[in-house]
Amino acid sequence: MNRTRLIFFAVIGLALIIVVASLGVRWLGQQKAPLVGPAPETLEVRIVCALPVEPWVREAAKDFNAQKHKLEGHPIQVTVIPMDGLTAMSRYEREEMNPLPTAWIPDSRYLVELVNAALKEMRGRDVFLTDGEYRARPIVLSLFSWGIYQSRAEVLRQKYTDVNWQTIHDAAMAKGGWPELGGDPAWGYFKLVVPNPHKNVGGLMAMVAAAGEYYQKPRIDTADVTAPEFQAWLKELMGAVTDFSSLGAYSVENLALFGYSMGDGGQLLESDLLTNMAGIQTRWEDPLVIVYPTYLTWFDFPFTVWMGPETTALEKNGALEFEKYLLSPEVQQKAAERGLRPANLEVPLTGEGSLFVRWQSQGAMTVVPRTTAMRPPDRDVLLALLRWFDLNIAER
Amino acid sequence: MARKQRKQSAGKTEERGVRQAILWTAIAGLVVICSACGLVYWAVRQASGVRLPLGREPVTLQVAYSPEKGELFKALVAGFNGSKAQTGDGRPIRVEAQELTPERMIQAAAGGEFHAISPDSSIWLDVLDRAWMEEQETEVGLVGETVRYAVSPVVLAMWEDVAHQMGYPQRALGWEDLLVKAQSDPNFRWSHPSTSSASGLLATLAEFYAGVGKTRGLTEEDAQAQATLDYVGALEKTVRYYGEGEWAVVQQALSEGRAYLEAFVCQEQLVVYFNQRSSDRLVAIYPREGTLWEDHPLALLELSDLSSDARQAFGLFRDFLLSEASQRQILAAGYRPADLSIPLDSPDSPLTLANGVDPTQPQTTLQIPSPSVVEVVRDVWWYTKRHTNVYLVVDTSGSMRGEKLDNVQVALGAFLGSIKGDQERVGLIDFSHEIKQFLFLDELGSNRGELESAIAGLEAQGNTALLDAIATAYVRLQDMEDPERINAIVAMTDGLENASNIELGELAERIRAGNQQGVPVVIFCIAYGSDADFKTLQAIADASGGQVRSGDVTTIEELYKILSTYF
Repeated sequence: MNRTRLIFFAVIGLALIIVVASLGVRWLGQQKAPLVGPAPETLEVRIVCALPVEPWVREAAKDFNAQKHKLEGHPIQVTVIPMDGLTAMSRYEREEMNPLPTAWIPDSRYLVELVNAALKEMRGRDVFLTDGEYRARPIVLSLFSWGIYQSRAEVLRQKYTDVNWQTIHDAAMAKGGWPELGGDPAWGYFKLVVPNPHKNVGGLMAMVAAAGEYYQKPRIDTADVTAPEFQAWLKELMGAVTDFSSLGAYSVENLALFGYSMGDGGQLLESDLLTNMAGIQTRWEDPLVIVYPTYLTWFDFPFTVWMGPETTALEKNGALEFEKYLLSPEVQQKAAERGLRPANLEVPLTGEGSLFVRWQSQGAMTVVPRTTAMRPPDRDVLLALLRWFDLNIAER
Repeated sequence: MARKQRKQSAGKTEERGVRQAILWTAIAGLVVICSACGLVYWAVRQASGVRLPLGREPVTLQVAYSPEKGELFKALVAGFNGSKAQTGDGRPIRVEAQELTPERMIQAAAGGEFHAISPDSSIWLDVLDRAWMEEQETEVGLVGETVRYAVSPVVLAMWEDVAHQMGYPQRALGWEDLLVKAQSDPNFRWSHPSTSSASGLLATLAEFYAGVGKTRGLTEEDAQAQATLDYVGALEKTVRYYGEGEWAVVQQALSEGRAYLEAFVCQEQLVVYFNQRSSDRLVAIYPREGTLWEDHPLALLELSDLSSDARQAFGLFRDFLLSEASQRQILAAGYRPADLSIPLDSPDSPLTLANGVDPTQPQTTLQIPSPSVVEVVRDVWWYTKRHTNVYLVVDTSGSMRGEKLDNVQVALGAFLGSIKGDQERVGLIDFSHEIKQFLFLDELGSNRGELESAIAGLEAQGNTALLDAIATAYVRLQDMEDPERINAIVAMTDGLENASNIELGELAERIRAGNQQGVPVVIFCIAYGSDADFKTLQAIADASGGQVRSGDVTTIEELYKILSTYF
């Protein structure tokens, strides 16, 4: 046998060995345990998240995914879907949330209660729990406070001493605009910033807070918000809002991006105000000041696991793993750096990088004095306010 | 000796044969080994169920954007695609962007053609949601997550010396000053885009506010009051002509210079853009009564078939647009970036007084009315706008036969459909070597059906007497002596002039003289297909202060739609 034939047979032999070996592997794979075991299925946790905390939750989810957390051997992959609380509520109630998220972080606990009540009628059971391991649990808090351009706030204080819904109403009603109030004619009319309540639940809270101050009481009922005198007063107030279009969904961002041209101030979420303070100083000549109202409303951003059969027990537990992660001191500290008040009381508001400390000179406070907490409104109050808004403001 | 040589030669041949055999055997062996390895890979893949990173299908995000930011948006998309972004499972992501006017974008978005849209203003998102909810009979809108990556206020762009004559910068100018100037100075020519773009819509809203004497609380009743209509009508009569959008106006101003217009409405960024490219200088007037903003949203569309891949691609593209590098690129293009940490007065910022803009402005804005009031304003505008006398001059020579003529018929129908005002006067001249059909100008309320029938009956035959047809339309318009309206001709041809009695030079001269002594008639020419005589059309358009556009069978419908916005 010459050299050529030898090489030829060697190559063919080697190839045959490889082929036989591969077929063997295939056969083994079909018969019993595979040679390479199946990778554990990824546990997907989909979280619908309220807009004010979405950047923080999204960043946390990114870190969480990168850390490759596992549950019973399954890697957990968290996806965050930003959605305003009212939009999410509407989608849950119409069963248009497809696919159903594993968990929901709405703006406020009362949205959870409203959805639960609506779906309980249809399903005969709670879809979100109020106690036990899977209960809705706040992950951070943020108060509503006045954010006003400093030049405008000074004029208002000179004219009215205090900034509250009544003085804002009076400023909004000034026929001659800012010159009548003692301000610069170039400022035009007083421009109030209130988010569109259909696009941002903060708009609804602003109306509830205004009603609280109007009636000087913390609990508002349907009779209060449907009273003609109150509605006339509220309509005058809302007449000073520059924009309720889609643009108006991002109220503080608008206050910063478009400056005093689009809004002189409004009662807005403290965390949104704090995160935009620096940007406002960079972009506009006028800084913003924060003033805490007497009747206080807030969002508590509860982490809420869906208890229906559409998600598996493993997915529910995967969501809980992420909830624990969000409540960990390190992640809570990052929330404080974004102007959110940590739900984990171990985490101080005065830590390094705290926006509350940084903007103390502009009115930010870690402890808010002399306030009356507004009680969460019931479903009928909210619906009455939304209906009034549709008829009187949205179609103005 | 010869034997020895033969032997050596035979030995060499045999040696070469052996080498070749080894070579071929090795190649065959390699092929067999590669195949075997492939088989092994397949077997392991089947056995383990593990997806290996081969054959990764790319994820494509389809995005529509509005024309005024085309240059910037295309650069940003190219930057994103160059960044080799990937999904979580390693699939490449690519953004495919398409330029569309906001109105067309809304239709396409509702039809499921895009994953995301980026119009010039969030106003269109409300329009889209409203249309979607009505059509789908749902209370949930189509617009999902939305971010703004660039903003720019709507301003009045004006030649610096013209602004100085009006009191700038000592005095804050406004919409009212524009009205007074336009009505008192017959040589003052200004323009705003039609209401199909945000700047046009915002300018129109500002006129209505000025007419009512308010800066907020505009109602449907206000918009329809006779006094408001008179005010807006008087102001609109001073508009030279409308147009497809601010981008086209700026391009025209760059090519024609001061001869084009004295003032026009556009976003602030285009003033910077113009001043960076021209020796003439524009200044941005921020109307003292208030203005509005173009906020350039990027919005995800929550269609039922939106995949998680597309959602992920949207998130990455969003992050890219909001990244510091992109935001600085946005500032360099003359926009105000959404990232507030980037100062507008940095040394490399183009937002400077030298570029005609003032980053501390505007001081105040007008109130955006509800969508229903906006709709009323858009409807009412058709009655208050400067009306039009327009002749459609259509080449139906033999070369137009087939698909060319079929598509032109569709395009002409689209042109008529886009002009919603029944008071606009439209006529038709269908020509080859002679005029075959001549439908005189009449209000669309009376002759829309007749025009549609004439368009349906167009037949291709004969030579091309383009110049004679245009001359006929021109003479008709001059004879009408109607300076209150925009007088225009939209002439389309696919070939070379070869049958007219009038010469090109004579026609151009007649147009120049007529436009100076009589009513100005603007001629828009369409060079249809590659055989059209572009030079002749350019000469005609130049003589009238008009434009030439090139089109083909695929673009002709869109082109006619665009031209309809000028009327």
